[in-house]
Amino acid sequence: MTRVSEQSSFHAINHAVNKTKSRLEDLQLQGSNLKRVQKPSDDPIGNTELLAIRSQKVDNTQYSRNISFAKAQLSFVENAVEELTNIMLKAKELAIGQASNFYDADIRKSVAKEVEQLKKQMVAIGNRRMGNKFIFGGHKNLTQPFNDQGEYFGDSNTTKIEVSKDFFVPVNFSGKSVFFPKQNSAQEKETPELPLSAPKILEEPDAEKEPEINRSLASFKEDQTPVVQKNIIHHIQALEDALNTNNPEIIQSLLPVLDKDMDQLVQLRTKIGSTINSIDNASENIEKTNLLNEEYKSKIEDADVAELFTDLTRQQNTLNATYRASAQLMNKSLMDFLR
Amino acid sequence: MGSDLFSIGRSALATSKKSMATTSHNIANANNENFSRQRVTTETNTPIGEGDYVVGSGVNIRSIKRAHDALAEKKLNHSISQHQYNEERTHQLSQVEEIFNEINSEGMNKVLNRFFNAFRELANQPENEVVRTMVRDNANLVVKDFHRINQSITAVKEGIDRSIGKAVEDINTAAHNIANLNKEIIRLENAGGETGDLRDRRDESVRLLSEYFTVNTYEDEKGQYVVNIAGTGSIVAGGAVNELKASKVGKDPATKRESEGKVELFFEGQRNLVISDNVKKGKLAALTETREVEIKGLRDQLDELAYGLTKATNAIHRRGFANKKVASDAQGNLIHDPSLGKLTGINFFNEPLQKDRAAEYIKLSEEVESDLSNISTALAPNSPGDNRVAIAISKLQHEKVLEEGQNTFEESYLQAVGKIGLTTSKSKIDTEQSSGILAQAKSIKQRISGVSLDEETANLVKYQHSYDASARVIKAADEMFDSVLGMMR
Repeated sequence: MTRVSEQSSFHAINHAVNKTKSRLEDLQLQGSNLKRVQKPSDDPIGNTELLAIRSQKVDNTQYSRNISFAKAQLSFVENAVEELTNIMLKAKELAIGQASNFYDADIRKSVAKEVEQLKKQMVAIGNRRMGNKFIFGGHKNLTQPFNDQGEYFGDSNTTKIEVSKDFFVPVNFSGKSVFFPKQNSAQEKETPELPLSAPKILEEPDAEKEPEINRSLASFKEDQTPVVQKNIIHHIQALEDALNTNNPEIIQSLLPVLDKDMDQLVQLRTKIGSTINSIDNASENIEKTNLLNEEYKSKIEDADVAELFTDLTRQQNTLNATYRASAQLMNKSLMDFLR
Repeated sequence: MGSDLFSIGRSALATSKKSMATTSHNIANANNENFSRQRVTTETNTPIGEGDYVVGSGVNIRSIKRAHDALAEKKLNHSISQHQYNEERTHQLSQVEEIFNEINSEGMNKVLNRFFNAFRELANQPENEVVRTMVRDNANLVVKDFHRINQSITAVKEGIDRSIGKAVEDINTAAHNIANLNKEIIRLENAGGETGDLRDRRDESVRLLSEYFTVNTYEDEKGQYVVNIAGTGSIVAGGAVNELKASKVGKDPATKRESEGKVELFFEGQRNLVISDNVKKGKLAALTETREVEIKGLRDQLDELAYGLTKATNAIHRRGFANKKVASDAQGNLIHDPSLGKLTGINFFNEPLQKDRAAEYIKLSEEVESDLSNISTALAPNSPGDNRVAIAISKLQHEKVLEEGQNTFEESYLQAVGKIGLTTSKSKIDTEQSSGILAQAKSIKQRISGVSLDEETANLVKYQHSYDASARVIKAADEMFDSVLGMMR
């Protein structure tokens, strides 16, 4: 038989009531906002997963923004290229018509006027802006890329943006790649990526060892002279000149050149179209990931309502039972029975 | 013969009275947790030889003993040390954990993420000044959150330092109490007095010490009561106290971190022997351990993160060119106009000098803070549409940069958060467990030493009866005298 003293039974009651009550408090807190995880320690692994999911969500929101941006930009470019194609088509039709000896100089002069208009349209498209940016300027997108003679002042760089993790798409095409006939492919320069190996960057002690950092402006030479190579505007110009000088041979010889230009523009449109397609795919993937993440997140952080309230009721019952049992013990004393 | 009866009656009367007094004392202290119930132990008086017979001569009080079990007491003290250790750990860790709680608010993970995405947005529109403002604002939020976390952790650390100082005061008070009681007990015992209540009080003080560290007590060969701080040395020996001291020590002046100092423990007698790390269990061990392991670890990790972030961002950013128009001469050579300031090699953050305290000193560079066009996105001059540097910085988000290429920033941060969460969660479970064990130890002690009112009530009735009966004995003796005296008349 164990001895029971006032203090020992008091401690027993106290401990039992406290334990039940603190569990009840926990459950009530969960019940108040239906979240299973309130603090990192409630579910350390789940908490870090939650945070990771959350950053993925923020990333995806940014990627979605990038997607809309890229799509708007590309549609704009596509439009411009389409217009260019139409102009080329028209120029070609005129050229075919004038290639024979059928027409005389006067008619050719008036056609030349038409061609001049076409050329002007082309230059206007080449200088088209989206917002304040010239879309065909390459990286020099704040300066007008073409002058009236069709000379190009931009560079040949492409801007790429990330539309989903590690997936980059070009959002502009430089005037160089649109207006100039393709050189042999070896010469076509891809925009160099910044060589990025962060760990290595960290190891490097400092500036002295990195000549790149200290490179002076001298290593960059600004191309002041416009690109002299002939572009499609020049081809149109040539057509106009030939018409003005009434020279059907030159017009004839220009036909295959214009054909090639057309092909290039059509190819470019196909390329833009497929890029937009792949962006749409990326967008769908992002939506899907978001949905899955949401589901997973809810599984981690949301309380199971049915289970929670069953638990709550059970703990309440336990507390009631504890109270009742304690009352039985505490209210009895030998004193009641003496005398 | 009559006189025998009188003296037997008188001894019984006195014993019953003393027993009743003890019982009353027990009842009076029934609610004192530190009180041990006392019992009167009696023995027969030395019997008297009377002719051929040996006749008893009444009752004698041998002693008044407290119900006490040294083993149960020891177990209780250990449970207290263990539980206080867990409870204090949970308390401190919960505070630390709360700093990293991002469930219902924003924290480092989110602002870091936004920082990288701001660069992603800048990559869309590298020529846009508004987006540059956004980048700078988000970078400032990162800086601010580094400072917030750093300050909050430092506040917890300083709280711990203060707690140690306060604890030492309590400990020394208790130690002096014990020393005084030691002297008093020895004095009273030499005089043959009862020391139950004093011993209870001494046990109470030892229990108080157990809250701070594991206590070992024993009586040495000279009968001195010695209190040891387990793992270090004795704080009380008989009537002498070796006071505990706590004061700020700059452990290692070589590294700046330590020079901000921390409170260390040592004995008054041995000022150059730091014992902070030797204390076992109890609040003191919880405080020092949390400070040395979790807080130090978190600060190091935070510094690593801040250092890595600034270094990596700067290394890329320096290669970029500021968004400024550079004029060129006829040959196309760029002319560097000094009024434009630096065009390349610009740091985004202030370049940190060392990893230590990087989180405290992280700050945007002067250039970026003062001029938005110094946020470099281009890899060549005069290229407002070039976004390659912005993209490279945004890609740092998924680059395994930290811990020798082991982790990305997010992974490293989440590991730290996960670790503190796990430690806190474990500490909570430990606390729940040790509180059960403590309740059990308390209950065992109380079963032995605690007062049961029912028992005392019964005893009171019993002693009352024996008092009545003893009074009857004296009355009978008196009547016998009367009878004898009546014969004389």
